[in-house]
Amino acid sequence: MLQFSKFVATRAVMALITLIIVSLVVFSLMELVPGDCAERYLAFKNTQGSGISMADIENERIRLGLDKPFLQRWGLWIFNAFQGDFGDSCILRVDIAQLLGDKFWISLALCLASLTLAYAIAIPVGIIAAASSNAFLNNGLRLFSYLGLAMPNFLLALMIMLIGTVYFGETLTGLFSPEYRDAGWSWDRVVDLLQHAWLPIFILGWSATAFALQTVRALMSDEIGKLYVTAAAARGVSGGKLLWRYPARHALGPIVNSLGFDLNRIFNELPIVALILTLTEAGALLIEALARSNDQQLAGAIIFLLTASIVTLNFLTDVLLAVLDPRVRKSIIR
Amino acid sequence: MTDQTTTLPDSDQKSKEAYFTASQGQLIWARFKKQRAAMIAAMVLVVLILSGLFAPFLSPYNPTIAGKNDEYTNGAPQIPQFCDDAGCSLRPFVYSVERERSMATNFRWVTKINTEDRKYIQFFVEGWDYKLFGFIPMDTHLFGAPEGFVHIFGTDSTGKDIFSRTLHAIWTSMQVGSIGVFIAFVLALVIGGISGYYGGWIDSVLQMITDAVRTVPAIPLFMAVAAFMPPEISAEARFFYISLILGFIGWPTLARRVRTHLLTERNQEYVLAAQLCGASSGHVIRRHLLPSFTSYIIVDLVISFPYMVLSETALSFIGLGLKDPVNSLGVMLQNVTNADVLLNYQWYFIPVIFFIALVMAFVFVGDGLRDAADPYSDTHK
Repeated sequence: MLQFSKFVATRAVMALITLIIVSLVVFSLMELVPGDCAERYLAFKNTQGSGISMADIENERIRLGLDKPFLQRWGLWIFNAFQGDFGDSCILRVDIAQLLGDKFWISLALCLASLTLAYAIAIPVGIIAAASSNAFLNNGLRLFSYLGLAMPNFLLALMIMLIGTVYFGETLTGLFSPEYRDAGWSWDRVVDLLQHAWLPIFILGWSATAFALQTVRALMSDEIGKLYVTAAAARGVSGGKLLWRYPARHALGPIVNSLGFDLNRIFNELPIVALILTLTEAGALLIEALARSNDQQLAGAIIFLLTASIVTLNFLTDVLLAVLDPRVRKSIIR
Repeated sequence: MTDQTTTLPDSDQKSKEAYFTASQGQLIWARFKKQRAAMIAAMVLVVLILSGLFAPFLSPYNPTIAGKNDEYTNGAPQIPQFCDDAGCSLRPFVYSVERERSMATNFRWVTKINTEDRKYIQFFVEGWDYKLFGFIPMDTHLFGAPEGFVHIFGTDSTGKDIFSRTLHAIWTSMQVGSIGVFIAFVLALVIGGISGYYGGWIDSVLQMITDAVRTVPAIPLFMAVAAFMPPEISAEARFFYISLILGFIGWPTLARRVRTHLLTERNQEYVLAAQLCGASSGHVIRRHLLPSFTSYIIVDLVISFPYMVLSETALSFIGLGLKDPVNSLGVMLQNVTNADVLLNYQWYFIPVIFFIALVMAFVFVGDGLRDAADPYSDTHK
């Protein structure tokens, strides 16, 4: 038990270090953009008719604390970020936490739902594919997996939109019906969300499923030929019970471990899919911030939050794996 | 035992000898040839690369705004045919089109196909000037319709020929991908090499940084970096920047592979044996370590290529990547989400087929190469 808590603590510290390195990268990116907040604020004032001078800009910098050294500002930013406070967006002049609101949680929920969908399909199908010697099934799955790799989600989204508009005359976009867009959370709103969310979940889950299928199948076929499986079969265990209780338990370990990277891959596609389907959530906001308004504070906050969710998931899966698999627990602690 | 080998037929003996004396490249090629899917993919890939290389020759019109056809904007694909009601001809032809708009058409341009008027397609016609491979000035094109025009994939909203643009876009994607992969590869070799060769704490620190970079979703990161590009820079400079960015963000996965290869190979017996024989470390790296994993590295490069292409497409699609005079799939897809295109001009999507073919070909070839480069792949099956 002591060993286990030590393991959890080490993992937590490592996750924290990763987050800090990431935050440094993100913060440096934000800083590299030409022009800072002070200039932006005053440029806005300039459009309102009041003349400004270099001294005004300097004063504004001091007021915003932008004259402090880089590392100090980074420290402050990350300290606040961990408390969920990302400061104000210079372009929109509103609090970022308020702007993001539950949009980020919707995004995260969409991605996790796609991840769940991907594995709900991939695990049973992958196990069956590895166990069966049906050439047709295997080739079909291989083709599907390659299609999943070759056809990026945004192309798929475009194709679905194309088919949707041509054959059904519906655009299939958005996350909420107009009447619920700005309403508070209620049961009806959740139902409305679910009615719209299946398409983004399916699209985001598409290539994730292809990836997951390949992984599950490869890991299973590695395990299935091993001696302990033959031994179990010789003892009279057979069918689904044999697959599930012996090779699957070993094969699924690495998959639990790679969940974080799968989430990473899904997040990767989220902004562009969101753009095509005009979803109102954090991914679309990210594109808005980067491609349209050049709002680095907002973009930095979103990228940081995305990465933080991945790191958290990585940490959770590490712990989960250690709970499930004594070999991992032993080997890492030592 | 000796009897057995002598009784073998002569040809069998020869093939065995050839097998045991074959170089690594020959062995990989022999195994690669056996995989039907990979071979087909390789042929598709060669065709696509050649059509990209000879894009200016193959495309009847200039893919930039200079080659626009004002008479036929948003024009539907014209399919060359040999026969119609008026009889057949050996030379393929398309019909000429007329456009009109009036009260009757609700003031929209409406295209009318004039089936009476055939425009014959001719081969090796003179057209716009270009430089083949960038330095041979030419103006001959594979086909064209000198009397009228032929747009086999249709035209876009400014009247640019989609077929010409697609061919050029393939070449652009290849270039961006190659430069990106090259930069990523150099970075990966240096970082992964240092990490794997020195090991110890240097390895741990470098691995931590690599992992941290890997945790950030790549496309949002691409977008953040691409957003720094000043909007006023030229299209060529943009092209270069984008390749650079793709390379700078794509290295972690490759670096990890290089490191793993080095770490495992470094402790192999044959390295120890070479060292005990008095080989210098330069000799060990050059003669033993590098050949042991060049094939793997080449495979990794082929596999990571399509991801570079797709990232570029995604980036250009949202408007942060390449811009107009340069053609790429992303640039061509920029405007397709509006309802007008979706409902009326579906031929905007034709290039997508080519790109799926390109990426699929790369994935299949990469996969085939990976199996072929793995000396144990035969024993797995």
